[in-house]
Amino acid sequence: MKFSEIASAKKIGKDFFELSFSIDSEVKPGQFLMIWVPGVKEIPMSVSNLKNPITISFKAIGETTRKLSTMREGQRIFYRGPYGNTFPEPKGRAAYVAGGTGIASLLPLIRIHPGDVYYGLRTAEDIVYGEIVNFVSTDDGTLGFKGNVVDLFIKEDKEYDEVFVCGPEPMMKYFHDKIDRRKYGKIYYSLERLMKCGVGICDSCSINGFRVCKDGTVFEHEQLDMMDEFGTVRRAESGRRIFLK
Amino acid sequence: MDISTVIAGTRFDNPVFLASGIVDETLKSVERAIKSGAGAAVTKSIGKDERPGYAPPIISELPTGMINAVGLANPGIDDFIDEFRTSKLKEKIVVSIFGKDSEEFLELAKRVQEVGFKTVELNLSCPHVKGYGSEVGEDPDLVEEIITELKNKTNLKVWAKLTPNVTHIVDIAKAAEGADALVLINTVKAIGVNIWARKFSLTNGIGGYSGPGIKPIALRAVYDVYRETGKEIIGVGGITSYEDAIEFILLGAKAVQVGTAIYYKDFQIFNEISQGIINYLEKEGFENLQEIIGLMVR
Ligand SMILES: Cc1cc2nc3c(=O)[nH]c(=O)nc-3n(C[C@H](O)[C@H](O)[C@H](O)COP(=O)(O)O)c2cc1C
Ligand code: FES
Repeated sequence: MKFSEIASAKKIGKDFFELSFSIDSEVKPGQFLMIWVPGVKEIPMSVSNLKNPITISFKAIGETTRKLSTMREGQRIFYRGPYGNTFPEPKGRAAYVAGGTGIASLLPLIRIHPGDVYYGLRTAEDIVYGEIVNFVSTDDGTLGFKGNVVDLFIKEDKEYDEVFVCGPEPMMKYFHDKIDRRKYGKIYYSLERLMKCGVGICDSCSINGFRVCKDGTVFEHEQLDMMDEFGTVRRAESGRRIFLK
Repeated sequence: MDISTVIAGTRFDNPVFLASGIVDETLKSVERAIKSGAGAAVTKSIGKDERPGYAPPIISELPTGMINAVGLANPGIDDFIDEFRTSKLKEKIVVSIFGKDSEEFLELAKRVQEVGFKTVELNLSCPHVKGYGSEVGEDPDLVEEIITELKNKTNLKVWAKLTPNVTHIVDIAKAAEGADALVLINTVKAIGVNIWARKFSLTNGIGGYSGPGIKPIALRAVYDVYRETGKEIIGVGGITSYEDAIEFILLGAKAVQVGTAIYYKDFQIFNEISQGIINYLEKEGFENLQEIIGLMVR
């Protein structure tokens, strides 16, 4: 476990925060850190800006993220990592499709290789990083397209060489099943699951034998074709299966 | 080169197994270990009821291994059976079970037997959960009772996994004499401290130490127990290379299990160790694995 001092702490939207701090190793696009809040918990967090001081971006929704959101410049932040595989660098015409906090793990790529950014939110007041978003959807129609971001992406009907997707699993599953695969070159998904160890030994994040923390978080469309648990079976902290359909 | 090994009458193609608790909570991961070359794979320890385990941090990385306190997280026997019953690789899957008394162990063992598994491993050794694991495994009478019960009332092969956190492991091994094989060792009871947070490294405070740092402790346990009891032994603790595995085998282990090595070398560890053993036997002029089992203890 390493630690660093927080260089800056910002609120950037409703319940949405950024913390920046310097770390001693290089982080690649798509990788994550395990962030420990002593006395609370340790949680995985993707890195939204890769250059020191690096940034984590999160919504204060659980006990740990709420505590993180109260942290200020100069305070210690504990972390281990970076862990996980990485997104390949885009080469052609790229699209980024994000749902909710999923935008965080796509930000480094968007900065390196701009493309069309599709962003799905629940409601207008959830918007963050509005300046880089090209197409926005909200569930309640208070901003942009009314509906989900996948339907928006399909409606826009553009062709891309590379598509990068990150968001809640049901959204990614819907994307995976719904899009016309032939219209796009490569499609990469960064998955999110309950993670306890972050280093591939506890099996809590596994989908069909693929560990999201170690074999992922980034998987190609065709890998997901082989995972019948993707979007259909979640795991409780105990490892018990929770069937989604 | 024949590196197959026979444990309690059951033949395994190679002597390199996956240890309980490391990437083996889900069926597909267990099968992945077997497809990656593990001679057998032991599941995460399963109890009667669902347990969420401890909150993270559940592991703390050290220069010589790691400390963990997962807290016997498991889905409970019902969901486990439901998921694992469909496996076509049951011959190579050993189900690890834990309970607080012989009644619970028996109930679990019967469920496991019912769906076609042939071997159980008794977790008498997890060091960080109250009322289970090593708290059971430190009590020779209870150990004997549990094993007798299972041997009398099931047809399962019973492997008893012992804790090193006792004064005389040989005494416990003798109490476990009725088991078909002994698995030595579980993790070493340990604590990690973070001086910059002034907190324990793990949520639970107390954990179990695994990885290269405990290999000498495990070797000693295997040697003492083999010499004193002559039981069939599966060695585990800090094995990350073929050399490590051979050390255990020379001291009497008929097979080895690897856990923390997955963290260092991932699933390819199984083939790496098997191939290393084959090369060693060829180079050193042995005919098969059998020739070196316990070679240093005769
Ligand atoms: C994260 C982790 C979880 C474990 N869970 C269990 C378990 O559920 N049941 C058990 O009998 N042993 C468990 N163990 C102990 C291992 O099976 C093994 O005995 C120990 O780690 C020593 O071997 P190693 O150094 O190769 O890891 C666990 C070990 C680790 C590191
Ligand atoms: S979080 Fe432990 S295996 Fe992925």
